Amino acid sequence: MSSDASASLPQPPEHYETFVRLFVHHEGRLRGFLRTLVRDWDDVDEVMQETSLVAWRKFSQFDPDTNFMAWAAAIARFEALKHLRKQSRDRLVFNDDILDLLAEESLEEVDSLERHRSALGKCLEKLDSRQKELLQLAYQPGVKFHEVAAQAGKSAQAFYKTIQRMRAALLQCAEKQMQAEAAT
Amino acid sequence: MATFGNSDGGNGGGGGCNPGKLPEASRLIGEWLSGSITPADFDLLQTMLQDCSEVRRMLREEVNLEQVLRENASVTADLKAWNPEGLPDHEGEGEAAAIPFPDQGTKARAKKYWISWAAAASMAVLLSAGTFLWGGRHALSKDLVQEETNRGCAILTHVVNAEWLDDDNSRRTGDTVNSGMLKLACGFAQVEFFSGATLLMEGDAELEIVSPWEAICHSGKVRVRVPPPARGFLLHAPGMKLVDLGTEFGVQVNPEDLSSEVHVFEGEVEAHPTNQDLISLKQGMGLYKEGNKVAPLPGVRPDDFMGMERLDAITATRAKARYDAWATWKKDMCGDERLVVYFPFERQGKWQRMIGNGCNPCNPDRNGGVVGARWTQGRWPMKDALEFKRPGDRVRLRIDGEYEALTLTCWVKVDGLDRKFNALLLTDGYDAGEPHWQITQDGKLMFSIAYPDEEHPEVKRNQVHLSPVVFNRSNIGRWHQLAVTYDNCSGEVIQFVDGKEVSREVSPLYQPGRKIVYGACELGNWGLPLQDHQFPVRNLNGCMDEFAIYQIALAGDELKKIYEASKPE
Repeated sequence: MSSDASASLPQPPEHYETFVRLFVHHEGRLRGFLRTLVRDWDDVDEVMQETSLVAWRKFSQFDPDTNFMAWAAAIARFEALKHLRKQSRDRLVFNDDILDLLAEESLEEVDSLERHRSALGKCLEKLDSRQKELLQLAYQPGVKFHEVAAQAGKSAQAFYKTIQRMRAALLQCAEKQMQAEAAT
Repeated sequence: MATFGNSDGGNGGGGGCNPGKLPEASRLIGEWLSGSITPADFDLLQTMLQDCSEVRRMLREEVNLEQVLRENASVTADLKAWNPEGLPDHEGEGEAAAIPFPDQGTKARAKKYWISWAAAASMAVLLSAGTFLWGGRHALSKDLVQEETNRGCAILTHVVNAEWLDDDNSRRTGDTVNSGMLKLACGFAQVEFFSGATLLMEGDAELEIVSPWEAICHSGKVRVRVPPPARGFLLHAPGMKLVDLGTEFGVQVNPEDLSSEVHVFEGEVEAHPTNQDLISLKQGMGLYKEGNKVAPLPGVRPDDFMGMERLDAITATRAKARYDAWATWKKDMCGDERLVVYFPFERQGKWQRMIGNGCNPCNPDRNGGVVGARWTQGRWPMKDALEFKRPGDRVRLRIDGEYEALTLTCWVKVDGLDRKFNALLLTDGYDAGEPHWQITQDGKLMFSIAYPDEEHPEVKRNQVHLSPVVFNRSNIGRWHQLAVTYDNCSGEVIQFVDGKEVSREVSPLYQPGRKIVYGACELGNWGLPLQDHQFPVRNLNGCMDEFAIYQIALAGDELKKIYEASKPE
């Protein structure tokens, strides 16, 4: 009934270590990848949970000489589609053609997106503590941005604009950072 | 190649996009990410994405940025809420205070709106729009906020060796303190007021808390440290009011003759003796008051008053002693042949995603694998624990064999009961003989074993045992030892919290002699929810320190001993 035969196969512990190491290493990237495919970050959490389980069950089929990110992303993409089907698809989800393009290009750009992430991390560090606190407020887990902003009435605009300005500045900073790193 | 902007005539050529449209694309992406995009704009965004690789690249970068911001925010999300009302409008001093997560009956969602007071204060400065947040928060978690804002004044940040004489003898580090009396018979307690003032009381002492800005010392010794934001903090001693101008000072009140001494160690204090002129006391000055007599002290005696640093050192020494005692006990305990698996949760240098089965001799097949969960501090500063926060966090393990009885024990610090069921140990799926151990959203311990009726699978035949409510807002956020015992001969399930029995019963569905099995299972999550289950997401929000499974049902007095040997304080 509920038990899944493949899940019960005993795997050698080294096997599991390898899996966990790879999975944790790519988790951030997979989450970003999934966010382009589903409606919001709550969905990302749910799909990630499924993805991790399916990936573990199928891990014996993974060829260690190939790209784990590509392999896991294929699973994540499939799980995301299942998820969308279950939800009978939300209006905030892009059509299949765009999803295909985004998924394909995300995988091509895995490395540069990773450099981008690390550049963003460095830029975040440069913010002053007030700015950091503001971002912390807007992006804390479980809070939907528009819900926070919606409480603001008139100042929601100000809130939103401030956040957008900071985002733009961070993206610009990351770009410079990446150029500087490429130059050295 | 397709071009962006086709729909309105397009610029065709070169496979590029119309650069003039990029700012608009950026706006649309922002609105899509925040969930505020209109259907028409969403269609427009889709067209742009379809036609223009540059817009897709922008989208990926924006998503990347958002992912980084969210990761970053979730790291600091443990800053607990501060009480914003009744405080002047200035920025707070660093430390955030712990107010536990949602009460029973409050929607789990409400907790998401508990935000750091400091963050909110700076937000107000930044936007000059500080009010909306409080408005929003109140609207979203009314009852809870109402109660706290009216009464919370301070946090107990250090409680060492303390015995309390007043009603609540169970005060511990991390508790919020409301206005009212604190009677400390012995030991030390450090009280951090929401204003930023810190007060250290040394038993035997009586302190009355009036507000985040005011307290009365009725007897005993206290030492007060007031950082600049808390200037103006008021401490009363018999017949005297002391206004702190940003400083550190000690007060000693003798309850027999109501005489008092003030010692200023640093900065300046204004002393206002009743019916007499103000006396300004500078660093190194002291004052003695008895009845109407006021006299200067020949010198101050800082060493007579316990200092924060000394208390830190004492706390650290005590924690180390407790930890060492536990580590010694553990050496014997892990050789117990009745253990099936034992996780002391000690991080192994080489490969920290694996948690070792600490049984001696060790069966490495029963090592666990950490997924998602992060290492954090356990019961003592030198002890590790695993923190479970996100829906994916879990520890995988696999236990072979069939058993006739069990004892499950663990040390857990629950930070919130977010789910209908919050996992401690769950087997993948829920097949015959598999135990499930979890905490319900309303704070009860729930132990159950599945024995489906093979002829009528639709009829639920699981032995389910619920304890009375054991988790509420007063004990959430603290370390507790949980345990449950079951044996298939008597059918009795006994549940324990901190070594004390909280429930005992035999299920009406119990049939003697049915085996217990585990197979693949997880700590802190549910690995393989049943198909179409109504509540498949069961991740724990909290930390786990020690976990053990025995193959017999341990007796109550033995569990009590285990509790005593491993309790944090």
